[in-house]
Amino acid sequence: MKSLVKFACLTVLPVMAAPQQFQLNLDSVAAKASEHVDVSLNASTLQFAAKFLDSSDPDEAKVKKLLVGIEGIYVRHFSFKSAGAWNEADLEPVRAQLHGPEWSKIVGVVSSEDGENAEVWLRTSGNKSIGVAIVATEQKEITVVNIAGTIDLETLAEIGGHFGVPKVKPADKPHKEE
Amino acid sequence: MDWLEDELRRALAREDPPDGLAERVMARSARGPSGARRWLAAAAMVVVAAGAAGAWRQHQGNQAKQQVMLALRLASAPVQHIQSEIRGISQ
Repeated sequence: MKSLVKFACLTVLPVMAAPQQFQLNLDSVAAKASEHVDVSLNASTLQFAAKFLDSSDPDEAKVKKLLVGIEGIYVRHFSFKSAGAWNEADLEPVRAQLHGPEWSKIVGVVSSEDGENAEVWLRTSGNKSIGVAIVATEQKEITVVNIAGTIDLETLAEIGGHFGVPKVKPADKPHKEE
Repeated sequence: MDWLEDELRRALAREDPPDGLAERVMARSARGPSGARRWLAAAAMVVVAAGAAGAWRQHQGNQAKQQVMLALRLASAPVQHIQSEIRGISQ
Protein backbone atom coordinates (compact mmCIF):
# COMPACT_ATOMS: atom_id res chain seq x y z
CA MET A 1 0.00 0.00 0.00
CA LYS A 2 2.82 2.32 0.96
CA SER A 3 4.53 1.70 -2.33
CA LEU A 4 1.27 2.42 -4.14
CA VAL A 5 0.97 5.80 -2.39
CA LYS A 6 4.60 6.51 -3.15
CA PHE A 7 4.06 5.59 -6.78
CA ALA A 8 1.03 7.88 -6.95
CA CYS A 9 2.99 10.74 -5.39
CA LEU A 10 5.83 10.27 -7.83
CA THR A 11 3.66 10.01 -10.93
CA VAL A 12 0.38 11.84 -10.39
CA LEU A 13 1.54 14.86 -8.41
CA PRO A 14 4.11 16.09 -10.92
CA VAL A 15 1.50 15.77 -13.67
CA MET A 16 -0.97 17.75 -11.59
CA ALA A 17 1.67 20.37 -10.89
CA ALA A 18 2.72 20.67 -14.53
CA PRO A 19 0.71 23.41 -16.23
CA GLN A 20 1.48 22.11 -19.72
CA GLN A 21 -1.92 21.27 -21.20
CA PHE A 22 -1.01 18.78 -23.88
CA GLN A 23 1.98 16.69 -24.69
CA LEU A 24 4.27 18.15 -27.30
CA ASN A 25 5.20 14.67 -28.45
CA LEU A 26 6.81 15.50 -31.75
CA ASP A 27 9.73 13.12 -31.78
CA SER A 28 9.11 12.07 -35.38
CA VAL A 29 9.21 15.73 -36.43
CA ALA A 30 12.36 16.37 -34.42
CA ALA A 31 14.04 13.44 -36.13
CA LYS A 32 13.47 15.02 -39.53
CA ALA A 33 14.23 18.63 -38.60
CA SER A 34 17.48 20.38 -39.33
CA GLU A 35 16.97 22.82 -36.45
CA HIS A 36 14.92 22.47 -33.34
CA VAL A 37 14.01 25.08 -30.71
CA ASP A 38 12.51 23.85 -27.47
CA VAL A 39 11.36 26.38 -24.89
CA SER A 40 9.56 25.36 -21.70
CA LEU A 41 8.85 28.06 -19.17
CA ASN A 42 6.83 27.39 -16.05
CA ALA A 43 5.15 29.98 -13.85
CA SER A 44 8.10 30.53 -11.54
CA THR A 45 10.49 31.06 -14.46
CA LEU A 46 8.06 33.50 -16.04
CA GLN A 47 7.72 35.42 -12.78
CA PHE A 48 11.48 35.48 -12.40
CA ALA A 49 11.95 36.70 -15.97
CA ALA A 50 9.30 39.37 -15.46
CA LYS A 51 11.45 40.92 -12.73
CA PHE A 52 14.13 41.57 -15.33
CA LEU A 53 11.81 43.25 -17.80
CA ASP A 54 12.19 47.00 -17.80
CA SER A 55 8.85 48.68 -17.11
CA SER A 56 10.16 51.98 -18.47
CA ASP A 57 10.70 50.37 -21.89
CA PRO A 58 7.31 50.35 -23.69
CA ASP A 59 7.94 47.01 -25.41
CA GLU A 60 9.17 45.25 -22.31
CA ALA A 61 6.35 46.78 -20.28
CA LYS A 62 3.91 45.25 -22.75
CA VAL A 63 5.52 41.84 -22.36
CA LYS A 64 5.47 42.20 -18.59
CA LYS A 65 1.76 42.96 -18.70
CA LEU A 66 1.17 40.03 -21.04
CA LEU A 67 2.89 37.63 -18.65
CA VAL A 68 0.42 38.39 -15.87
CA GLY A 69 -1.95 35.44 -15.81
CA ILE A 70 0.28 33.14 -17.86
CA GLU A 71 1.20 29.96 -16.01
CA GLY A 72 3.44 28.43 -18.61
CA ILE A 73 4.73 28.78 -22.15
CA TYR A 74 5.82 25.72 -24.08
CA VAL A 75 7.13 26.05 -27.60
CA ARG A 76 8.53 23.59 -30.11
CA HIS A 77 9.82 25.04 -33.34
CA PHE A 78 11.30 22.97 -36.12
CA SER A 79 13.04 24.02 -39.32
CA PHE A 80 13.63 21.72 -42.26
CA LYS A 81 16.17 21.89 -45.03
CA SER A 82 13.67 21.08 -47.76
CA ALA A 83 9.94 21.26 -48.39
CA GLY A 84 8.19 17.95 -47.95
CA ALA A 85 10.53 16.79 -45.22
CA TRP A 86 7.57 16.44 -42.87
CA ASN A 87 3.96 15.40 -43.40
CA GLU A 88 0.65 16.02 -41.65
CA ALA A 89 0.75 12.62 -39.97
CA ASP A 90 3.75 13.84 -37.96
CA LEU A 91 1.48 16.34 -36.23
CA GLU A 92 -1.26 13.84 -35.50
CA PRO A 93 -0.10 13.09 -31.92
CA VAL A 94 -0.62 16.77 -31.07
CA ARG A 95 -3.81 17.30 -33.08
CA ALA A 96 -5.43 14.22 -31.55
CA GLN A 97 -5.07 15.79 -28.11
CA LEU A 98 -6.58 19.05 -29.30
CA HIS A 99 -9.69 17.23 -30.47
CA GLY A 100 -10.54 16.55 -26.83
CA PRO A 101 -13.69 18.20 -25.39
CA GLU A 102 -11.79 20.87 -23.46
CA TRP A 103 -10.28 22.33 -26.61
CA SER A 104 -12.07 24.27 -29.31
CA LYS A 105 -10.58 25.65 -32.48
CA ILE A 106 -11.23 29.37 -32.63
CA VAL A 107 -9.53 30.21 -35.89
CA GLY A 108 -7.59 28.55 -38.63
CA VAL A 109 -6.02 29.93 -41.76
CA VAL A 110 -4.91 27.87 -44.73
CA SER A 111 -2.87 29.60 -47.39
CA SER A 112 -3.02 27.39 -50.42
CA GLU A 113 -0.40 29.36 -52.32
CA ASP A 114 2.56 29.32 -49.97
CA GLY A 115 1.43 26.50 -47.70
CA GLU A 116 1.42 28.65 -44.58
CA ASN A 117 -1.22 27.29 -42.24
CA ALA A 118 -2.02 28.39 -38.72
CA GLU A 119 -4.65 27.45 -36.22
CA VAL A 120 -5.45 28.61 -32.73
CA TRP A 121 -7.19 26.43 -30.20
CA LEU A 122 -8.68 27.61 -26.94
CA ARG A 123 -8.87 25.53 -23.80
CA THR A 124 -11.81 26.37 -21.59
CA SER A 125 -12.94 25.43 -18.13
CA GLY A 126 -16.51 26.49 -17.51
CA ASN A 127 -16.78 29.81 -19.25
CA LYS A 128 -13.19 30.71 -18.62
CA SER A 129 -10.38 30.32 -21.11
CA ILE A 130 -7.42 28.71 -19.42
CA GLY A 131 -5.05 28.07 -22.25
CA VAL A 132 -4.16 28.46 -25.89
CA ALA A 133 -2.66 26.08 -28.39
CA ILE A 134 -1.14 27.27 -31.63
CA VAL A 135 -0.17 24.98 -34.48
CA ALA A 136 1.52 26.70 -37.38
CA THR A 137 3.07 25.02 -40.37
CA GLU A 138 4.98 26.18 -43.38
CA GLN A 139 6.71 24.12 -46.00
CA LYS A 140 9.95 24.23 -44.10
CA GLU A 141 8.82 25.12 -40.59
CA ILE A 142 6.55 23.86 -37.85
CA THR A 143 5.69 25.72 -34.65
CA VAL A 144 3.58 24.25 -31.87
CA VAL A 145 2.81 26.39 -28.83
CA ASN A 146 0.93 25.88 -25.61
CA ILE A 147 0.33 28.89 -23.43
CA ALA A 148 -1.27 27.93 -20.14
CA GLY A 149 -3.30 30.56 -18.37
CA THR A 150 -4.97 33.62 -19.76
CA ILE A 151 -3.45 35.54 -22.63
CA ASP A 152 -4.47 38.46 -24.78
CA LEU A 153 -3.88 37.26 -28.34
CA GLU A 154 -4.13 40.80 -29.69
CA THR A 155 -1.21 41.88 -27.52
CA LEU A 156 0.69 38.72 -28.39
CA ALA A 157 0.37 39.58 -32.07
CA GLU A 158 1.41 43.16 -31.36
CA ILE A 159 4.63 42.25 -29.62
CA GLY A 160 5.61 40.14 -32.60
CA GLY A 161 6.42 43.37 -34.39
CA HIS A 162 9.08 44.12 -31.80
CA PHE A 163 12.25 42.35 -30.71
CA GLY A 164 13.63 42.31 -34.21
CA VAL A 165 10.71 40.51 -35.82
CA PRO A 166 9.02 42.49 -38.57
CA LYS A 167 5.23 42.52 -38.52
CA VAL A 168 3.55 40.53 -41.23
CA LYS A 169 1.89 42.76 -43.79
CA PRO A 170 -1.73 42.14 -44.73
CA ALA A 171 -1.92 39.36 -47.26
CA ASP A 172 -2.77 40.07 -50.86
CA LYS A 173 -2.71 36.50 -52.01
CA PRO A 174 -5.46 33.91 -52.40
CA HIS A 175 -6.34 32.28 -49.13
CA LYS A 176 -8.99 30.26 -47.45
CA GLU A 177 -10.24 30.81 -43.93
CA GLU A 178 -11.72 27.93 -42.00
CA MET B 1 89.10 54.70 6.39
CA ASP B 2 89.60 52.25 9.26
CA TRP B 3 86.77 53.78 11.18
CA LEU B 4 84.42 53.19 8.23
CA GLU B 5 85.49 49.57 7.87
CA ASP B 6 85.03 49.09 11.59
CA GLU B 7 81.55 50.59 11.43
CA LEU B 8 80.59 48.40 8.49
CA ARG B 9 81.99 45.30 10.07
CA ARG B 10 80.09 46.04 13.24
CA ALA B 11 76.86 46.75 11.37
CA LEU B 12 77.05 43.71 9.14
CA ALA B 13 78.35 41.35 11.79
CA ARG B 14 76.35 38.15 12.19
CA GLU B 15 74.26 38.15 15.31
CA ASP B 16 72.53 35.23 16.85
CA PRO B 17 68.79 35.63 17.33
CA PRO B 18 67.58 36.15 20.84
CA ASP B 19 66.81 33.02 22.77
CA GLY B 20 63.42 31.48 22.03
CA LEU B 21 62.78 33.49 18.84
CA ALA B 22 62.13 30.40 16.69
CA GLU B 23 59.65 29.02 19.25
CA ARG B 24 57.84 32.37 19.47
CA VAL B 25 57.56 32.65 15.65
CA MET B 26 56.26 29.09 15.34
CA ALA B 27 53.76 29.63 18.12
CA ARG B 28 52.50 32.86 16.51
CA SER B 29 52.06 31.27 13.11
CA ALA B 30 50.21 28.33 14.67
CA ARG B 31 47.73 30.71 16.29
CA GLY B 32 46.78 32.05 12.84
CA PRO B 33 45.68 35.58 12.02
CA SER B 34 44.41 37.89 14.68
CA GLY B 35 40.69 38.26 15.41
CA ALA B 36 40.41 41.50 13.48
CA ARG B 37 42.11 40.02 10.46
CA ARG B 38 39.83 37.00 10.59
CA TRP B 39 36.74 39.23 10.61
CA LEU B 40 38.14 41.30 7.78
CA ALA B 41 38.75 38.17 5.69
CA ALA B 42 35.27 36.86 6.49
CA ALA B 43 33.71 40.21 5.56
CA ALA B 44 35.63 40.25 2.29
CA MET B 45 34.44 36.72 1.53
CA VAL B 46 30.83 37.71 2.24
CA VAL B 47 31.11 40.73 -0.06
CA VAL B 48 32.65 38.63 -2.84
CA ALA B 49 30.04 35.87 -2.39
CA ALA B 50 27.19 38.40 -2.40
CA GLY B 51 28.58 40.03 -5.52
CA ALA B 52 28.97 36.68 -7.26
CA ALA B 53 25.45 35.64 -6.26
CA GLY B 54 24.06 38.93 -7.54
CA ALA B 55 25.89 38.59 -10.83
CA TRP B 56 24.72 34.98 -11.18
CA ARG B 57 21.11 36.01 -10.45
CA GLN B 58 21.35 38.78 -13.04
CA HIS B 59 22.74 36.32 -15.55
CA GLN B 60 19.96 33.82 -14.82
CA GLY B 61 17.35 36.58 -15.02
CA ASN B 62 18.63 37.78 -18.37
CA GLN B 63 18.63 34.23 -19.67
CA ALA B 64 15.04 33.71 -18.51
CA LYS B 65 14.07 37.01 -20.12
CA GLN B 66 15.66 35.97 -23.42
CA GLN B 67 13.80 32.67 -23.27
CA VAL B 68 10.51 34.48 -22.71
CA MET B 69 11.23 36.81 -25.63
CA LEU B 70 12.07 33.87 -27.88
CA ALA B 71 8.95 31.94 -26.86
CA LEU B 72 6.68 34.94 -27.39
CA ARG B 73 8.31 35.77 -30.70
CA LEU B 74 7.71 32.22 -31.97
CA ALA B 75 4.16 32.21 -30.60
CA SER B 76 3.26 35.60 -31.98
CA ALA B 77 4.26 34.94 -35.59
CA PRO B 78 1.34 32.57 -36.40
CA VAL B 79 -1.14 34.80 -34.55
CA GLN B 80 0.09 37.76 -36.58
CA HIS B 81 -0.24 35.70 -39.73
CA ILE B 82 -3.84 34.82 -38.88
CA GLN B 83 -4.60 38.45 -38.08
CA SER B 84 -3.22 39.67 -41.36
CA GLU B 85 -5.10 37.01 -43.34
CA ILE B 86 -8.36 37.97 -41.63
CA ARG B 87 -7.69 41.65 -42.30
CA GLY B 88 -6.99 40.75 -45.91
CA ILE B 89 -10.39 39.05 -46.18
CA SER B 90 -12.30 41.87 -44.54
CA GLN B 91 -10.70 44.55 -46.72
